[in-house]
Amino acid sequence: MRVGLLPTEGKSTYRFTVLFLATIGILISSLPVVVVTIMSFSASDNTGFPPPELSLRWYWEVIAMFTQEDASSAQSVVDSTVTSLLVAFIVMAISTLVCIPLAYALARGDRRIREGMELLFTLPLVFPLVILGIAFLLIAESLRLEIGIWRIVIPHVALVLPFVLRNCIGAMNGISVETEEAAVSLGASPLRAIWDVVIPLMRAGILAGLIFALIISFNEFTITFFMYTIDVSTLPIWMYSRTVSSLDPSTLALSVFIIVADVVLIVLVDKLIAGRANLF
Amino acid sequence: MSTSDTHLHIDNVSKTFGDVQALKGVDLEIKRGSFVCLLGPSGCGKTTLLRIIAGFENASSGHLMLDGIDISQMPPHKRGFGMVFQSLALFPHMSVAKNIAYGLKLRNISKAEQRNRVEELLNVIELPEIAERPVSALSGGQRQRVAIARALAIQPPLFLLDEPLSALDAKLRDNMQIELRQLQQKFGVTTILVTHDQHEAMMLADELVVLKDGEVYQSADPATVYQKPANSFVADFLGAANLVPAAVSKDGHVTVMGQEIACDTGQPVGTRLSAAMRAEHIGLVPVSMAKDHPVGAVKFLRDLGPATELVISVDGQDLRVRCDNATVPDLSIGAQVALSLDGSRLSVFRA
Repeated sequence: MRVGLLPTEGKSTYRFTVLFLATIGILISSLPVVVVTIMSFSASDNTGFPPPELSLRWYWEVIAMFTQEDASSAQSVVDSTVTSLLVAFIVMAISTLVCIPLAYALARGDRRIREGMELLFTLPLVFPLVILGIAFLLIAESLRLEIGIWRIVIPHVALVLPFVLRNCIGAMNGISVETEEAAVSLGASPLRAIWDVVIPLMRAGILAGLIFALIISFNEFTITFFMYTIDVSTLPIWMYSRTVSSLDPSTLALSVFIIVADVVLIVLVDKLIAGRANLF
Repeated sequence: MSTSDTHLHIDNVSKTFGDVQALKGVDLEIKRGSFVCLLGPSGCGKTTLLRIIAGFENASSGHLMLDGIDISQMPPHKRGFGMVFQSLALFPHMSVAKNIAYGLKLRNISKAEQRNRVEELLNVIELPEIAERPVSALSGGQRQRVAIARALAIQPPLFLLDEPLSALDAKLRDNMQIELRQLQQKFGVTTILVTHDQHEAMMLADELVVLKDGEVYQSADPATVYQKPANSFVADFLGAANLVPAAVSKDGHVTVMGQEIACDTGQPVGTRLSAAMRAEHIGLVPVSMAKDHPVGAVKFLRDLGPATELVISVDGQDLRVRCDNATVPDLSIGAQVALSLDGSRLSVFRA
């Protein structure tokens, strides 16, 4: 007989409560996505909800924005998308190069050092993003750095590192020292053993970390808002300025594209490591 | 000091981890082509010794001489010793063939030759059809054999095994012991195996090294270690022995449980000793024929098929006795029976 913590008497009430809470949770978390998606199909020029008529005109508008270069705006949507992607890829590359060796060292090293380091790398998560943005801005301005895209890359790396590191450490945990020693006993130098055995076995975790890095960097707004310049700006900043100046549903259609891309990536992560990813 | 026959000389090797002394001056000479078992309870230092030989740990003092050359400072990947780990440590992202060929690939051996060698080894381990299978699709026994084949593929001067059979079930383990012994003889490779299983050690070893608390207690061929244990620990560790107090009663005789037995100890009269008797070396005789034999009561009795296992209580001390079924008198629990002891099969140690 199954013994639960909750009374089995009045089972229908219990089931109702769980269903009710689950529904509320799903509604609240998916509400913005649902609203934005519906609005993006609006046929009208304003963002009144619910849309009086449905059409695909804003989707065509978005496609037009990307295909017909708009010379009038200083920062076109194409430029900011390219910057966003470029930033994301540099962030992915740097965080991988930092996290693989770091995860290896932490997983093979002293347990206390590892816990301390994990905590240290989690700090950017608990720091208010606005304060982080101000801090990075202060640093950049006081040093008068002319570093172009790196103004955004560096804060993004700081934000992304904990996610990538956690996934890499998680992947390392499954690799026994004996597997590595087996490669060494067969004649592989320690570095060769890492290359031939450890990294291939970490692959799923590394990829999951990379996808999280891509999503977080591509969607990041708060810190970027402090750091962007006229020359270097990202897609979320462009979307914000566009929405502030004229709230038309084209931004919403664009965000639906981004949401779809994010969902595809998250599903990929889930498939890749079968629910073993560590977002937090 | 080392003869030409010595393949590996473990020269006075000690190892300390912080305050713990894991190995205390271990000195062993391992003959070329022999099968050596390091046997001992957990924490005796046997795995540490194997890892020092493999190069994964450095000795705190002492040297390893391979064919007279000091390899103490050589990194493990240059030693080229094949090793089979307790977890087997197969590469899960590679097929069976890639696992076996890995050491060959590192030696820049041509693809064709790698293929031949893998095929040859798969035939030796009698699994010719599994080359392209992923490691995860193998059974426990198959993994075991692949791990052995992978280590032997590089034609290692020394073949090291760290409790490789401990994860297998009893029947499979018995079969693998025989196979492992046959493989070792076929390849003629000098082999060192770590185990805590005395039966396994007896099955495999040419030379049995019994370790305890980082010291070698005895190093000899299995029969000698079993028949003539060097001390009471070895006697007890290799197949439960009955340890009873004894004393030298006169020259060439000891008294054990009130019976005087001819047994040359070389000790002066009156020396207090401890005598070890194997369960199967104690005979049973009816009380009517007892003479000065010790007499006890049957406390436990079990017919195991080929033999009968008994516990007989003599003056409050329990003795384990194992008799051939043909020679067991008709007994039941509580019955009185006399024990006959054989002086030539008695091992005595200073108490």
